[in-house]
Amino acid sequence: MTRRPAKTRLLAAASLSALALAPAAHAADKTLTISVYSFAQDEFKEIVYDPFEEICGCDIVVETGNSVERLAKIEANKDDPVIDMAVLSTHDAMGAARKDLLQPVDVSKLSNYDKLYDIAKDPLGDHLGIGYTFYATSIVYRSDKVTVESWADLMSPELAGNVAFPDVTTNQGPPALYMLGQAMGSEGYDLTPAIEEVAAHADDIVTYYVRSSQLAQLMQQEEIWAAPVGRFAWGRFKDNGLPMEWATPKEGQTGGMNVMVMTANNGNEDLALQFMDFWLSTEVQTALAEALVDSPANAEVEVSDEVAENLTYGAETVASLKLLPPDVILDSRESWLEEWNAKVLK
Amino acid sequence: MFEDKRTGLALALPAAVFAAALFLLPVGILLSEGFRNADGWSLAPYVEFFASGRNRVVFLRTLKLAALVAGVSAVIGYATAFAIVSLPPASRGRVFALVTLPLMISPVARTYAWLVILGRTGFVNQMLVGSGLLDTPLRLLFTETAVFIGLLQLFLPLMIISLVSAMENMPRDAVPAARVLGANWFQVFARVILPLTREGLVVGGTLVFTGSMTAYITPAILGGAKVLMLETLLYQRVTVANDFASASVIAMILMVMAFSANLLLKRLATARRAR
Repeated sequence: MTRRPAKTRLLAAASLSALALAPAAHAADKTLTISVYSFAQDEFKEIVYDPFEEICGCDIVVETGNSVERLAKIEANKDDPVIDMAVLSTHDAMGAARKDLLQPVDVSKLSNYDKLYDIAKDPLGDHLGIGYTFYATSIVYRSDKVTVESWADLMSPELAGNVAFPDVTTNQGPPALYMLGQAMGSEGYDLTPAIEEVAAHADDIVTYYVRSSQLAQLMQQEEIWAAPVGRFAWGRFKDNGLPMEWATPKEGQTGGMNVMVMTANNGNEDLALQFMDFWLSTEVQTALAEALVDSPANAEVEVSDEVAENLTYGAETVASLKLLPPDVILDSRESWLEEWNAKVLK
Repeated sequence: MFEDKRTGLALALPAAVFAAALFLLPVGILLSEGFRNADGWSLAPYVEFFASGRNRVVFLRTLKLAALVAGVSAVIGYATAFAIVSLPPASRGRVFALVTLPLMISPVARTYAWLVILGRTGFVNQMLVGSGLLDTPLRLLFTETAVFIGLLQLFLPLMIISLVSAMENMPRDAVPAARVLGANWFQVFARVILPLTREGLVVGGTLVFTGSMTAYITPAILGGAKVLMLETLLYQRVTVANDFASASVIAMILMVMAFSANLLLKRLATARRAR
């Protein structure tokens, strides 16, 4: 199999390091190309990429971007894969798997596989994706203004005009709608009643947010008192000088999971597996947790209470998460969007 | 200028090739996406786009806000431009610099400032509540009003600059002459100033209208998902749905709207001259 793009990059990398007069630390006869979210890349470089390059004597080429861009790229290069391994949300990974862009991960070669929480071991089936991190989604609120004990409280008169909801196009949107539906007594994964509930309260909802950073600013400016948000963003809220609380609604918390996937026919499986195993190791997962980058999927990871406070941590928390199944999200995403556009944004 | 016409053509060739290969061709390919569906060439994507009630709302809102911003900035622009050209040359430069100053600040920074000013605990609401005019703060953010204010502040300088340079080219005695001959201020404006500055108005109007229509940052930050405009909708279609067909339909609509606005303004200007 030809891997010309990788070679070109290798040459470029080699000439760059020659220019910098750096010693040829890496044998550079092997290259691993990975596709990851663009967030926290400085931390990932320090904790994951650089140490792995030392171990494997290879070069890691990192490609970043949002999920749509990265998936489009993997699909475009299907016949001659450029990306060896990628990290994706469970539903995006399932979408890629259905287009035959992925191959099962040979978990017998992952020495750290048995250390993972059960929900992370095989969320897609056939070992097409291995969970490496997850997050809880619940409601952050101003404890001096309101008390939130249920997802239904988001639509309460006390919060009218003071609440933000995630846009349906974000990763938080459908899970939040799911839990709102649960609070209203909906059965199964039908989000229609919840979408109608949001539509009925459209005038009471300040905005449908797209980014958690935007939400943090709205909270800081006292534009809103409550909103559903992923645990990974909790750090932005808890120290903002206002009385903030993380709700534990009686219907439970929802959330999401990210998985590692192996692209089909990439010809670089051994190196990719070695890299995945390294990323899942207790040592690396602990370092990522302590840097507050990703909550650990490795159950052996132990962190201080202070660190745990910022993460989705511990067997009990993990077991209690009510996640939307990836195939449900994938199959219904378009219809949810249409329904949302028709009813909520009319 | 050149003895041989071909010399001129030859000199223009590199730029023409550059523009054709790197601008016209890609734009053509992109826009042609909007005329295709599974069966080949078709207008179906356009029919589908306008069949959605949400899309129609977004289209009309974009048209309305852009026209409103252009109209209001023309009114404020004429008053400001007239005041500026009436100043002695030394202070004229200083005031003109003040008008153009906002253009040197990033639109992101300017829009974020509005986020703070228009917020519930922001300047506007503090004044309104503090003075006793209102009991509870107004909800200004994420409304059409907020987007309108943001766009007006963003593009007003372009209108003022166009009108100031048009007025500077106006014969110095035209306004005093009309006044001496008995015209009131309305007649002076309608029959002297407006016809003499119509080119400035066409340029300024086109810049403000097209700018407001295609602005992304301001509607995204001050309007959000509740006040979608064509540009924010386009972004949503591409990044969320990977739906390049709808996106190129929107891009085409924006282009047609921009050209139409320019033609319409030119037509209005020449119609006045013909009368």
